[in-house]
Amino acid sequence: MIDRSEVSWLRPSPLLLRVRRIEVAAVTVPLAIAGWLGGQVVSAATGIGIAAALVLAGLLAERFLARRVAAWGYAERKDDLMVRRGVLVRRLSVIPYGRMQFIDVTAGPLERGLGLATVRMHTAAAASDARIPGLQAAAAAALRDQLAALGEAQAAGL
Amino acid sequence: MTTQSAPQGRPVLLAGEGGWHRLHPLSPFVRAGRQFISLAVVLIGISALNQHPARGDIIADLAVLGLALGGGFVSWLVTRWQIADGVLRIDTGLIRRDSRRIPLSQVQAVDVVQSGLARILGLAELQLRVAGAGSARSGRLACLRRADAEELRGKLLALAAASAVAAPAAGPSRTLFRVHAGRLFGAVLLTRSGATALVVVLATALTVQISGSATTVAPFLPVVLGVAGALWRQFNGEYGTTVTSAPDGMRLRSGLIQTTAETIRPGRIQAVRLVEPLIWRRLGWYRLEVDVAGSRERGENESEGRRHRALIPVGSRADAELMLAELMPAHPLPTRPAPSRARRKAPFSYHFLAWSADDRHVVASRGRVCRQTTWVPLQKVQSIRWVQGPLQRQLGLATVHLDAAGKRVGARIQDRDNAEALEILGTLPDLARTARSRAGQPGQPGAGASA
Repeated sequence: MIDRSEVSWLRPSPLLLRVRRIEVAAVTVPLAIAGWLGGQVVSAATGIGIAAALVLAGLLAERFLARRVAAWGYAERKDDLMVRRGVLVRRLSVIPYGRMQFIDVTAGPLERGLGLATVRMHTAAAASDARIPGLQAAAAAALRDQLAALGEAQAAGL
Repeated sequence: MTTQSAPQGRPVLLAGEGGWHRLHPLSPFVRAGRQFISLAVVLIGISALNQHPARGDIIADLAVLGLALGGGFVSWLVTRWQIADGVLRIDTGLIRRDSRRIPLSQVQAVDVVQSGLARILGLAELQLRVAGAGSARSGRLACLRRADAEELRGKLLALAAASAVAAPAAGPSRTLFRVHAGRLFGAVLLTRSGATALVVVLATALTVQISGSATTVAPFLPVVLGVAGALWRQFNGEYGTTVTSAPDGMRLRSGLIQTTAETIRPGRIQAVRLVEPLIWRRLGWYRLEVDVAGSRERGENESEGRRHRALIPVGSRADAELMLAELMPAHPLPTRPAPSRARRKAPFSYHFLAWSADDRHVVASRGRVCRQTTWVPLQKVQSIRWVQGPLQRQLGLATVHLDAAGKRVGARIQDRDNAEALEILGTLPDLARTARSRAGQPGQPGAGASA
């Protein structure tokens, strides 16, 4: 029986929220400006209305992403890794270390700028869902090495 | 590029191991076979429907065929293969060289596939299935002489078994199942795709009747051909399916025009699925499919698309039970139904939702009109996922997925009570670990061995 309070969840870095905010802003601001300019053709009020609506949508997206970031967590147990995520659809995955095929550590330009990385553990099943975004680069490297060591020690193949 | 010159009259393969071999010189013709067929279809279509046969179309098709043949010939020229140190190496490519090394210990299954054209020419294609990979990492030798292909298959399986932990024990092979041709024909027509085809054909015929001229349906002809083709491929692919149990694994033979012979090595089955479509249940028919790690190479001779390999395309309850007992000596049956409030979330599939488990297998059933029961050996479970959507949260339900190797392979224990789902999530990892360590011990049949 998994009592969620029993497991000590580790969280992505708070900087991940900043990455998400910048991403939302990078989409919303140009769209709002374009909408405003486009609306100006009709009337000044239309332009402002479109821009306001787009900014509002961006703010809502920011709220949603903040909750998503807050929901993300992972726990390293004795024999398996647990990852939980999702707000609307909640997911909780248990992946035995021995099933690991390989580990990806990726970082986009924005993540790299803030010193973050995403760790992803792959198993032979395509549906396995073990992605942990927004780890500090050092923590990501440590997690990768630890997972690799545990995976090798418990390797079970197919 | 050194090609081994084999002594006259002896199969090329008997020439020393480690040498480079070529494929059969007639391979380009077989590989261009698809284009031949599509050209014929287009020609017939044009002459039947078009009052003004467009010569340009035919010339374009001939050009395509010529290109395919030419490309095939160049590809044959630059392709060679060898077996050395337990590794099959295939080099190919003119401009972009591609050298594949397939460690034979990683091979999940070896298939011999013969398309109709290949059968006429006495050739066969050898396909090696490797886990986790798409076509990019699997091996394909198209084409070899039939006898060579069979011999090479035995040799590859022997090498694969030798490099795995335990060598297979010698023993007699026995036939487990043989499909009944008439029943297969009926079964193909009575599935969803069969019903679709029937509706399409009837609608087309009706349109012809009403409008009184055949030309009005010309735009729909590709659809009709497509639907009929899908049915044909299923019938062709599963015709004469014979399953034998042999020391080196389960042997499957099937096919009407194109024949396929594959060997599934013991302990490589990731999931077993029993399928019961609506009308079949009335007739007492069952379909039994297995999932093996490693996708089939999808080439021009592909017979089954993405569908899973059916050990029993259609069979009676007794056939299915015999095969299940062979695959899993003791298997649980889905006996625990979902809580009744799951009816509000899944009104159309609630009646089939159930699961059960013992210390070796987990079984879960689901489906709306077509009931699907999936068994997953606990030692094959790759990861366990607990998922709860918004509606499920309202009702206090959750779904637990068990993932096995491959795409969309695994069991889904759908819409369980919250507490039960968490309990499953809590206990299954331990059960799976126990099953894995038991399988890891030597002397156990069906051990995951190396992979």
